[in-house]
Amino acid sequence: MSRSPTEHRVPNADRLDEDGARITVDVDGQEITVFRYDGEYYAVLNFCVHQAGPLCEGRLTGRMTTDEDGWEWTYDDEEKHVVCPWHGWKFDITDGTNVSDSRYVVPTYDVEKRDGELYIVR
Amino acid sequence: MVASQSQARSSVTSIDDVGLVVDADSHLTESVDDLYPYMDDRDEGIKQLIKLSEIPFSDIFSITAPTPIFPDGQDEGTADVDLWSGANDIEGKHDLMDEYGIDHSIVNPTLVAVVNTVNNSRIARALVSAYNRYLIDNFADSDRISNIMVVAPHEPNRAAEEIDEWADEDSVVGVLIPPAGLVPAAGDRRYDPIYEAAQRHDLPVHYHSNTGAVHRSFPMQHNWSQTYAEEHAIMHPFTHMWNLSSLLFNGTPERFPDVEFVFNEAGIGWIPYMTWRLDDHYLELPHDVPVLEKLPSEYISDQFYFTTQPLGHTARDGRHIAQIIEMIGPDSVMYSADLPHPDFDLPAELFDRIRSQFDDEAVEKIMGKNAADLFGIEA
Repeated sequence: MSRSPTEHRVPNADRLDEDGARITVDVDGQEITVFRYDGEYYAVLNFCVHQAGPLCEGRLTGRMTTDEDGWEWTYDDEEKHVVCPWHGWKFDITDGTNVSDSRYVVPTYDVEKRDGELYIVR
Repeated sequence: MVASQSQARSSVTSIDDVGLVVDADSHLTESVDDLYPYMDDRDEGIKQLIKLSEIPFSDIFSITAPTPIFPDGQDEGTADVDLWSGANDIEGKHDLMDEYGIDHSIVNPTLVAVVNTVNNSRIARALVSAYNRYLIDNFADSDRISNIMVVAPHEPNRAAEEIDEWADEDSVVGVLIPPAGLVPAAGDRRYDPIYEAAQRHDLPVHYHSNTGAVHRSFPMQHNWSQTYAEEHAIMHPFTHMWNLSSLLFNGTPERFPDVEFVFNEAGIGWIPYMTWRLDDHYLELPHDVPVLEKLPSEYISDQFYFTTQPLGHTARDGRHIAQIIEMIGPDSVMYSADLPHPDFDLPAELFDRIRSQFDDEAVEKIMGKNAADLFGIEA
Protein backbone atom coordinates (compact mmCIF):
# COMPACT_ATOMS: atom_id res chain seq x y z
CA MET A 1 0.00 0.00 0.00
CA SER A 2 1.40 3.37 -0.94
CA ARG A 3 1.38 6.30 1.41
CA SER A 4 1.21 10.00 0.79
CA PRO A 5 4.53 11.81 0.61
CA THR A 6 5.52 13.42 3.85
CA GLU A 7 7.48 16.62 4.31
CA HIS A 8 10.51 16.23 6.54
CA ARG A 9 12.02 19.44 7.84
CA VAL A 10 15.75 19.92 7.25
CA PRO A 11 17.42 21.21 10.42
CA ASN A 12 19.96 24.01 10.23
CA ALA A 13 18.94 24.82 6.67
CA ASP A 14 20.49 28.23 7.05
CA ARG A 15 23.89 26.52 6.80
CA LEU A 16 23.16 25.83 3.13
CA ASP A 17 24.27 29.35 2.44
CA GLU A 18 26.41 28.72 -0.64
CA ASP A 19 26.54 26.40 -3.62
CA GLY A 20 28.26 23.13 -2.79
CA ALA A 21 27.08 23.14 0.84
CA ARG A 22 25.27 20.03 2.06
CA ILE A 23 23.40 18.68 5.05
CA THR A 24 22.67 15.03 5.70
CA VAL A 25 19.61 14.14 7.76
CA ASP A 26 17.92 10.95 8.90
CA VAL A 27 14.52 10.44 7.32
CA ASP A 28 12.63 7.39 8.56
CA GLY A 29 15.92 5.61 9.14
CA GLN A 30 17.50 6.55 5.84
CA GLU A 31 20.21 9.13 5.31
CA ILE A 32 19.29 11.77 2.78
CA THR A 33 21.62 14.59 1.81
CA VAL A 34 20.41 18.01 0.70
CA PHE A 35 22.84 19.79 -1.60
CA ARG A 36 22.71 23.40 -2.67
CA TYR A 37 23.66 23.81 -6.31
CA ASP A 38 23.15 26.93 -8.44
CA GLY A 39 20.90 28.41 -5.77
CA GLU A 40 18.57 25.40 -5.75
CA TYR A 41 18.29 22.47 -3.36
CA TYR A 42 18.55 18.79 -4.29
CA ALA A 43 17.98 15.81 -2.02
CA VAL A 44 19.81 12.55 -2.74
CA LEU A 45 19.79 9.26 -0.87
CA ASN A 46 23.18 8.75 0.77
CA PHE A 47 23.50 5.31 -0.75
CA CYS A 48 25.51 4.31 -3.80
CA VAL A 49 23.71 1.74 -5.93
CA HIS A 50 27.08 0.20 -6.79
CA GLN A 51 28.16 -1.30 -3.46
CA ALA A 52 26.08 0.62 -0.92
CA GLY A 53 28.78 3.21 -0.21
CA PRO A 54 28.11 6.59 1.48
CA LEU A 55 27.66 8.33 -1.85
CA CYS A 56 26.85 11.79 -0.54
CA GLU A 57 30.03 12.04 1.50
CA GLY A 58 31.95 12.35 -1.76
CA ARG A 59 33.03 15.55 -3.40
CA LEU A 60 31.03 17.52 -5.92
CA THR A 61 32.66 17.86 -9.33
CA GLY A 62 32.04 18.74 -12.93
CA ARG A 63 32.50 16.13 -15.60
CA MET A 64 34.67 15.42 -18.60
CA THR A 65 33.02 15.70 -22.00
CA THR A 66 34.23 15.51 -25.59
CA ASP A 67 33.40 17.07 -28.91
CA GLU A 68 31.61 14.96 -31.49
CA ASP A 69 34.89 13.66 -32.88
CA GLY A 70 36.13 12.64 -29.45
CA TRP A 71 39.41 14.52 -29.83
CA GLU A 72 38.77 17.59 -27.68
CA TRP A 73 38.23 16.85 -24.01
CA THR A 74 36.38 19.61 -22.21
CA TYR A 75 35.75 19.94 -18.49
CA ASP A 76 32.13 20.83 -17.88
CA ASP A 77 32.56 22.78 -14.65
CA GLU A 78 28.93 22.56 -13.51
CA GLU A 79 29.73 20.98 -10.17
CA LYS A 80 26.51 19.04 -9.80
CA HIS A 81 28.02 15.54 -9.74
CA VAL A 82 28.68 13.71 -6.51
CA VAL A 83 31.47 11.13 -6.58
CA CYS A 84 31.11 8.14 -4.33
CA PRO A 85 34.14 8.07 -2.01
CA TRP A 86 34.32 4.30 -2.19
CA HIS A 87 34.74 3.53 -5.92
CA GLY A 88 34.33 6.80 -7.76
CA TRP A 89 30.91 6.23 -9.30
CA LYS A 90 29.58 9.64 -10.26
CA PHE A 91 25.94 10.74 -10.14
CA ASP A 92 24.10 13.90 -11.18
CA ILE A 93 22.52 15.23 -7.96
CA THR A 94 19.73 16.96 -9.91
CA ASP A 95 18.22 13.72 -11.22
CA GLY A 96 20.21 10.88 -9.61
CA THR A 97 21.55 9.40 -12.84
CA ASN A 98 25.02 7.92 -13.17
CA VAL A 99 27.10 9.97 -15.63
CA SER A 100 28.47 6.86 -17.36
CA ASP A 101 25.34 4.72 -17.52
CA SER A 102 21.92 6.29 -16.99
CA ARG A 103 20.44 2.92 -16.09
CA TYR A 104 22.08 3.33 -12.69
CA VAL A 105 20.05 5.83 -10.72
CA VAL A 106 20.23 6.81 -7.07
CA PRO A 107 16.94 7.96 -5.49
CA THR A 108 16.32 11.70 -5.33
CA TYR A 109 13.57 13.65 -3.62
CA ASP A 110 11.83 16.96 -4.07
CA VAL A 111 12.83 19.76 -1.72
CA GLU A 112 10.24 22.36 -0.73
CA LYS A 113 11.28 25.78 0.52
CA ARG A 114 8.77 27.58 2.70
CA ASP A 115 9.04 30.33 5.31
CA GLY A 116 12.82 30.05 5.44
CA GLU A 117 12.70 26.32 6.06
CA LEU A 118 13.55 23.39 3.75
CA TYR A 119 11.51 20.18 3.60
CA ILE A 120 12.48 16.87 1.98
CA VAL A 121 9.37 15.36 0.41
CA ARG A 122 9.42 11.62 0.76
CA MET B 1 20.51 -20.30 -18.61
CA VAL B 2 22.63 -22.76 -20.52
CA ALA B 3 20.71 -25.81 -19.39
CA SER B 4 17.33 -24.28 -20.16
CA GLN B 5 18.49 -23.51 -23.69
CA SER B 6 19.47 -27.11 -24.22
CA GLN B 7 15.99 -28.21 -23.23
CA ALA B 8 14.42 -25.89 -25.78
CA ARG B 9 15.41 -27.76 -28.91
CA SER B 10 18.19 -30.18 -29.63
CA SER B 11 18.37 -32.34 -32.72
CA VAL B 12 22.08 -31.86 -33.40
CA THR B 13 23.53 -35.06 -32.07
CA SER B 14 27.00 -35.10 -33.62
CA ILE B 15 29.39 -32.81 -35.41
CA ASP B 16 28.13 -34.34 -38.66
CA ASP B 17 24.74 -32.72 -38.05
CA VAL B 18 26.21 -29.20 -38.01
CA GLY B 19 25.25 -27.48 -41.23
CA LEU B 20 28.36 -25.39 -41.70
CA VAL B 21 31.72 -25.57 -39.94
CA VAL B 22 33.86 -22.50 -40.51
CA ASP B 23 37.45 -22.19 -39.36
CA ALA B 24 37.45 -18.46 -38.69
CA ASP B 25 41.22 -18.38 -38.23
CA SER B 26 43.04 -20.54 -40.75
CA HIS B 27 46.52 -19.82 -42.06
CA LEU B 28 48.69 -19.78 -45.08
CA THR B 29 52.33 -20.68 -44.53
CA GLU B 30 53.94 -18.17 -46.84
CA SER B 31 57.69 -17.74 -47.01
CA VAL B 32 59.76 -14.79 -48.11
CA ASP B 33 60.58 -16.72 -51.28
CA ASP B 34 56.86 -16.97 -52.05
CA LEU B 35 56.57 -13.20 -51.94
CA TYR B 36 59.45 -12.23 -54.27
CA PRO B 37 57.49 -12.88 -57.49
CA TYR B 38 54.75 -10.58 -56.23
CA MET B 39 56.98 -7.57 -55.68
CA ASP B 40 56.32 -5.30 -58.62
CA ASP B 41 58.60 -2.73 -60.29
CA ARG B 42 58.15 -0.13 -57.59
CA ASP B 43 59.51 -2.62 -55.07
CA GLU B 44 62.43 -3.91 -57.14
CA GLY B 45 64.90 -2.10 -54.88
CA ILE B 46 63.31 -3.55 -51.78
CA LYS B 47 63.40 -7.01 -53.28
CA GLN B 48 67.10 -6.71 -54.00
CA LEU B 49 67.71 -5.44 -50.48
CA ILE B 50 65.90 -8.41 -48.93
CA LYS B 51 67.81 -10.80 -51.17
CA LEU B 52 71.07 -9.47 -49.77
CA SER B 53 70.07 -11.04 -46.46
CA GLU B 54 71.06 -14.60 -45.67
CA ILE B 55 68.71 -14.59 -42.69
CA PRO B 56 65.61 -12.47 -43.48
CA PHE B 57 64.02 -13.60 -40.20
CA SER B 58 66.59 -11.51 -38.35
CA ASP B 59 67.86 -9.00 -40.94
CA ILE B 60 64.50 -7.94 -42.38
CA PHE B 61 62.06 -9.23 -39.82
CA SER B 62 63.19 -9.49 -36.23
CA ILE B 63 61.54 -12.71 -35.17
CA THR B 64 62.80 -14.07 -31.91
CA ALA B 65 61.78 -16.42 -29.12
CA PRO B 66 63.51 -17.56 -25.91
CA THR B 67 63.54 -21.20 -27.08
CA PRO B 68 62.45 -22.80 -30.40
CA ILE B 69 58.87 -22.14 -31.52
CA PHE B 70 56.90 -25.42 -31.62
CA PRO B 71 59.97 -27.37 -32.78
CA ASP B 72 58.11 -30.66 -33.12
CA GLY B 73 55.71 -29.16 -35.62
CA GLN B 74 58.43 -28.26 -38.06
CA ASP B 75 60.02 -31.58 -38.93
CA GLU B 76 60.12 -31.67 -42.70
CA GLY B 77 58.51 -34.75 -44.08
CA THR B 78 56.78 -35.80 -40.88
CA ALA B 79 54.39 -32.98 -40.05
CA ASP B 80 51.22 -32.65 -42.13
CA VAL B 81 52.23 -29.15 -43.11
CA ASP B 82 55.55 -27.55 -42.38
CA LEU B 83 54.81 -24.47 -40.31
CA TRP B 84 57.04 -22.09 -42.23
CA SER B 85 57.15 -23.72 -45.66
CA GLY B 86 55.62 -22.23 -48.75
CA ALA B 87 54.20 -25.56 -49.92
CA ASN B 88 50.66 -24.30 -49.86
CA ASP B 89 47.83 -24.01 -52.35
CA ILE B 90 44.06 -24.32 -52.62
CA GLU B 91 44.22 -28.06 -53.04
CA GLY B 92 46.41 -28.40 -49.96
CA LYS B 93 44.00 -26.28 -47.94
CA HIS B 94 41.01 -28.29 -49.16
CA ASP B 95 42.73 -31.56 -48.30
CA LEU B 96 43.42 -30.43 -44.77
CA MET B 97 39.88 -29.06 -44.35
CA ASP B 98 38.40 -32.33 -45.62
CA GLU B 99 40.57 -34.36 -43.30
CA TYR B 100 39.35 -32.45 -40.28
CA GLY B 101 35.74 -31.75 -41.26
CA ILE B 102 35.93 -28.04 -41.99
CA ASP B 103 33.64 -26.63 -44.67
CA HIS B 104 35.06 -23.15 -45.04
CA SER B 105 38.22 -21.34 -43.97
CA ILE B 106 38.92 -17.69 -43.26
CA VAL B 107 42.58 -17.35 -44.14
CA ASN B 108 45.16 -15.29 -42.26
CA PRO B 109 48.90 -15.11 -42.98
CA THR B 110 51.68 -16.55 -40.83
CA LEU B 111 54.95 -14.79 -41.60
CA VAL B 112 53.44 -11.48 -42.64
CA ALA B 113 51.42 -11.42 -39.43
CA VAL B 114 54.64 -10.42 -37.65
CA VAL B 115 55.33 -7.51 -40.00
CA ASN B 116 55.57 -5.24 -36.97
CA THR B 117 59.03 -6.69 -36.42
CA VAL B 118 60.16 -5.09 -39.68
CA ASN B 119 61.81 -1.79 -38.79
CA ASN B 120 61.88 -0.34 -42.28
CA SER B 121 58.44 0.93 -43.18
CA ARG B 122 59.12 0.70 -46.93
CA ILE B 123 60.06 -2.95 -46.62
CA ALA B 124 57.03 -3.60 -44.40
CA ARG B 125 54.71 -2.03 -46.97
CA ALA B 126 56.34 -3.97 -49.81
CA LEU B 127 56.01 -7.27 -47.93
CA VAL B 128 52.29 -6.88 -47.21
CA SER B 129 51.58 -5.67 -50.74
CA ALA B 130 53.37 -8.72 -52.09
CA TYR B 131 51.49 -10.94 -49.65
CA ASN B 132 48.14 -9.54 -50.74
CA ARG B 133 48.98 -10.18 -54.40
CA TYR B 134 50.19 -13.69 -53.52
CA LEU B 135 46.99 -14.26 -51.56
CA ILE B 136 44.68 -13.17 -54.35
CA ASP B 137 46.68 -14.89 -57.05
CA ASN B 138 46.70 -18.24 -55.28
CA PHE B 139 43.67 -18.42 -52.98
CA ALA B 140 40.88 -16.38 -54.57
CA ASP B 141 39.37 -19.14 -56.70
CA SER B 142 37.88 -21.37 -54.05
CA ASP B 143 34.30 -21.19 -52.84
CA ARG B 144 35.54 -22.72 -49.57
CA ILE B 145 38.19 -20.13 -48.79
CA SER B 146 37.81 -16.46 -47.86
CA ASN B 147 40.78 -14.18 -47.44
CA ILE B 148 41.95 -11.67 -44.88
CA MET B 149 44.18 -9.07 -46.51
CA VAL B 150 46.97 -7.51 -44.47
CA VAL B 151 48.22 -3.98 -43.90
CA ALA B 152 51.46 -2.71 -42.42
CA PRO B 153 50.48 -0.28 -39.65
CA HIS B 154 53.77 1.63 -39.99
CA GLU B 155 52.27 4.12 -42.46
CA PRO B 156 48.51 4.24 -41.85
CA ASN B 157 47.70 6.32 -44.94
CA ARG B 158 49.53 3.86 -47.17
CA ALA B 159 47.76 1.05 -45.35
CA ALA B 160 44.45 2.67 -46.24
CA GLU B 161 45.53 2.80 -49.90
CA GLU B 162 46.33 -0.90 -49.69
CA ILE B 163 42.79 -1.57 -48.46
CA ASP B 164 41.35 0.52 -51.30
CA GLU B 165 43.33 -1.60 -53.75
CA TRP B 166 42.09 -5.01 -52.60
CA ALA B 167 38.78 -4.48 -50.85
CA ASP B 168 36.67 -5.09 -53.93
CA GLU B 169 38.13 -8.55 -54.51
CA ASP B 170 35.33 -11.03 -53.94
CA SER B 171 37.44 -13.32 -51.78
CA VAL B 172 38.62 -10.55 -49.45
CA VAL B 173 36.38 -10.48 -46.37
CA GLY B 174 38.50 -8.65 -43.81
CA VAL B 175 41.70 -6.77 -43.12
CA LEU B 176 44.35 -7.76 -40.59
CA ILE B 177 46.08 -5.12 -38.52
CA PRO B 178 48.83 -7.23 -36.97
CA PRO B 179 48.49 -6.55 -33.24
CA ALA B 180 51.63 -8.30 -32.03
CA GLY B 181 54.32 -5.69 -31.59
CA LEU B 182 51.85 -2.96 -32.54
CA VAL B 183 53.10 0.19 -30.82
CA PRO B 184 51.22 2.28 -29.94
CA ALA B 185 48.25 -0.02 -29.48
CA ALA B 186 45.34 -0.35 -31.87
CA GLY B 187 43.17 2.45 -30.49
CA ASP B 188 45.71 5.20 -31.19
CA ARG B 189 44.17 7.75 -33.50
CA ARG B 190 47.10 7.54 -35.90
CA TYR B 191 45.49 4.36 -37.20
CA ASP B 192 42.17 6.04 -37.95
CA PRO B 193 42.84 6.10 -41.73
CA ILE B 194 42.92 2.29 -41.60
CA TYR B 195 39.61 2.14 -39.77
CA GLU B 196 38.09 4.70 -42.12
CA ALA B 197 39.08 2.54 -45.08
CA ALA B 198 37.77 -0.62 -43.41
CA GLN B 199 34.46 1.10 -42.68
CA ARG B 200 34.29 2.52 -46.20
CA HIS B 201 34.65 -0.97 -47.64
CA ASP B 202 32.61 -2.76 -44.98
CA LEU B 203 35.53 -4.98 -44.00
CA PRO B 204 35.87 -6.41 -40.48
CA VAL B 205 39.23 -5.62 -38.87
CA HIS B 206 41.19 -8.58 -37.54
CA TYR B 207 43.73 -8.71 -34.75
CA HIS B 208 45.71 -11.92 -34.74
CA SER B 209 48.22 -12.25 -31.92
CA ASN B 210 51.63 -13.80 -32.56
CA THR B 211 54.53 -14.46 -30.23
CA GLY B 212 57.38 -13.84 -32.67
CA ALA B 213 56.68 -10.11 -32.60
CA VAL B 214 55.76 -9.43 -29.00
CA HIS B 215 59.22 -8.27 -28.01
CA ARG B 216 58.26 -5.00 -29.71
CA SER B 217 55.30 -4.35 -27.42
CA PHE B 218 56.25 -6.32 -24.31
CA PRO B 219 60.07 -6.20 -24.33
CA MET B 220 60.49 -6.73 -20.62
CA GLN B 221 58.26 -9.79 -20.58
CA HIS B 222 60.03 -11.19 -23.63
CA ASN B 223 63.52 -10.45 -22.38
CA TRP B 224 62.91 -12.19 -19.09
CA SER B 225 60.94 -15.19 -20.33
CA GLN B 226 63.13 -18.24 -19.86
CA THR B 227 61.29 -20.35 -22.41
CA TYR B 228 58.94 -20.09 -25.37
CA ALA B 229 56.29 -21.87 -23.31
CA GLU B 230 56.46 -19.16 -20.67
CA GLU B 231 56.29 -16.41 -23.27
CA HIS B 232 53.59 -18.02 -25.40
CA ALA B 233 51.28 -18.63 -22.42
CA ILE B 234 50.96 -14.95 -21.57
CA MET B 235 51.77 -13.00 -24.72
CA HIS B 236 48.65 -13.85 -26.72
CA PRO B 237 46.20 -12.68 -24.04
CA PHE B 238 48.46 -9.76 -23.08
CA THR B 239 48.46 -8.59 -26.70
CA HIS B 240 44.70 -8.75 -26.97
CA MET B 241 44.03 -7.25 -23.57
CA TRP B 242 46.17 -4.25 -24.47
CA ASN B 243 44.67 -3.75 -27.90
CA LEU B 244 41.07 -4.35 -26.81
CA SER B 245 41.47 -1.86 -23.96
CA SER B 246 43.12 0.64 -26.28
CA LEU B 247 40.35 0.37 -28.86
CA LEU B 248 37.59 0.81 -26.32
CA PHE B 249 39.04 3.49 -24.06
CA ASN B 250 40.15 5.56 -27.04
CA GLY B 251 36.69 5.34 -28.56
CA THR B 252 37.51 3.59 -31.83
CA PRO B 253 34.20 1.68 -32.01
CA GLU B 254 32.38 4.92 -31.18
CA ARG B 255 34.12 6.75 -34.03
CA PHE B 256 33.67 3.84 -36.42
CA PRO B 257 30.30 2.35 -35.50
CA ASP B 258 30.08 0.22 -38.64
CA VAL B 259 33.42 -1.52 -38.14
CA GLU B 260 33.45 -5.02 -36.69
CA PHE B 261 36.51 -6.12 -34.74
CA VAL B 262 37.68 -9.75 -34.67
CA PHE B 263 40.23 -11.12 -32.21
CA ASN B 264 42.08 -14.35 -33.10
CA GLU B 265 44.38 -16.81 -31.37
CA ALA B 266 44.13 -16.15 -27.63
CA GLY B 267 41.19 -18.41 -26.80
CA ILE B 268 38.11 -17.02 -25.07
CA GLY B 269 38.57 -17.52 -21.34
CA TRP B 270 40.08 -14.06 -20.86
CA ILE B 271 37.15 -12.18 -22.37
CA PRO B 272 34.59 -12.17 -19.52
CA TYR B 273 37.33 -11.23 -17.06
CA MET B 274 38.53 -8.38 -19.29
CA THR B 275 35.00 -7.22 -20.04
CA TRP B 276 34.21 -6.97 -16.34
CA ARG B 277 37.39 -4.96 -15.79
CA LEU B 278 36.65 -2.59 -18.65
CA ASP B 279 33.08 -1.98 -17.49
CA ASP B 280 34.28 -1.47 -13.94
CA HIS B 281 36.90 1.08 -15.01
CA TYR B 282 34.44 2.87 -17.25
CA LEU B 283 32.11 3.35 -14.28
CA GLU B 284 34.78 4.15 -11.69
CA LEU B 285 36.93 6.49 -13.79
CA PRO B 286 34.45 8.39 -15.95
CA HIS B 287 36.81 11.35 -16.40
CA ASP B 288 39.21 9.04 -18.27
CA VAL B 289 36.63 7.62 -20.66
CA PRO B 290 34.48 10.50 -21.85
CA VAL B 291 34.50 9.20 -25.43
CA LEU B 292 32.21 6.25 -24.79
CA GLU B 293 28.43 6.48 -24.80
CA LYS B 294 27.74 3.06 -23.30
CA LEU B 295 29.43 0.29 -21.35
CA PRO B 296 32.49 -1.31 -22.98
CA SER B 297 30.66 -4.65 -22.78
CA GLU B 298 27.90 -3.20 -24.95
CA TYR B 299 30.37 -2.19 -27.66
CA ILE B 300 31.84 -5.67 -27.38
CA SER B 301 28.42 -7.23 -27.79
CA ASP B 302 27.58 -4.99 -30.75
CA GLN B 303 30.84 -4.85 -32.70
CA PHE B 304 33.36 -7.42 -31.47
CA TYR B 305 33.93 -11.09 -32.28
CA PHE B 306 36.31 -13.63 -30.83
CA THR B 307 37.55 -16.88 -32.32
CA THR B 308 37.87 -19.85 -30.03
CA GLN B 309 41.28 -21.38 -30.66
CA PRO B 310 43.23 -22.21 -28.55
CA LEU B 311 40.56 -23.34 -26.11
CA GLY B 312 43.16 -24.52 -23.65
CA HIS B 313 43.00 -27.75 -21.70
CA THR B 314 39.27 -28.23 -21.37
CA ALA B 315 39.04 -31.89 -20.46
CA ARG B 316 38.67 -31.46 -16.71
CA ASP B 317 35.19 -30.02 -17.10
CA GLY B 318 34.07 -29.33 -20.63
CA ARG B 319 31.02 -27.37 -19.46
CA HIS B 320 33.28 -24.51 -18.49
CA ILE B 321 33.84 -23.64 -22.14
CA ALA B 322 30.07 -23.43 -22.63
CA GLN B 323 29.77 -21.26 -19.55
CA ILE B 324 32.45 -18.90 -20.86
CA ILE B 325 30.62 -18.63 -24.19
CA GLU B 326 27.39 -17.94 -22.34
CA MET B 327 29.12 -15.09 -20.50
CA ILE B 328 30.51 -13.58 -23.71
CA GLY B 329 27.35 -14.17 -25.70
CA PRO B 330 27.04 -16.94 -28.32
CA ASP B 331 26.54 -14.35 -31.08
CA SER B 332 30.06 -13.00 -30.56
CA VAL B 333 31.98 -16.27 -30.67
CA MET B 334 33.25 -18.09 -33.76
CA TYR B 335 34.89 -21.49 -33.94
CA SER B 336 38.45 -21.48 -35.24
CA ALA B 337 40.93 -24.26 -35.89
CA ASP B 338 44.15 -22.37 -36.63
CA LEU B 339 45.17 -25.00 -39.15
CA PRO B 340 47.89 -25.82 -40.01
CA HIS B 341 49.57 -24.43 -36.92
CA PRO B 342 50.59 -26.95 -34.29
CA ASP B 343 48.28 -25.81 -31.51
CA PHE B 344 45.12 -26.24 -33.61
CA ASP B 345 41.67 -27.20 -32.27
CA LEU B 346 39.64 -29.61 -34.37
CA PRO B 347 35.87 -28.95 -34.58
CA ALA B 348 34.96 -31.65 -32.07
CA GLU B 349 37.20 -30.07 -29.45
CA LEU B 350 34.68 -27.24 -29.25
CA PHE B 351 31.54 -29.01 -30.42
CA ASP B 352 31.78 -31.71 -27.74
CA ARG B 353 31.88 -29.01 -25.04
CA ILE B 354 28.89 -27.02 -26.26
CA ARG B 355 26.46 -29.49 -27.87
CA SER B 356 24.66 -30.44 -24.69
CA GLN B 357 24.78 -26.93 -23.23
CA PHE B 358 23.17 -24.85 -25.99
CA ASP B 359 20.24 -25.25 -28.32
CA ASP B 360 20.79 -26.11 -31.97
CA GLU B 361 20.66 -22.53 -33.15
CA ALA B 362 23.42 -21.41 -30.81
CA VAL B 363 25.58 -24.42 -31.66
CA GLU B 364 25.20 -23.72 -35.38
CA LYS B 365 26.06 -20.06 -34.82
CA ILE B 366 29.20 -20.80 -32.87
CA MET B 367 30.46 -23.53 -35.21
CA GLY B 368 29.89 -21.57 -38.42
CA LYS B 369 26.85 -19.40 -38.86
CA ASN B 370 28.22 -16.39 -36.99
CA ALA B 371 31.23 -16.45 -39.31
CA ALA B 372 29.02 -16.96 -42.35
CA ASP B 373 26.94 -13.92 -41.41
CA LEU B 374 29.94 -11.73 -40.58
CA PHE B 375 31.97 -12.62 -43.66
CA GLY B 376 29.13 -13.06 -46.12
CA ILE B 377 29.76 -16.73 -46.73
CA GLU B 378 27.03 -18.54 -48.63
CA ALA B 379 26.47 -21.95 -47.12
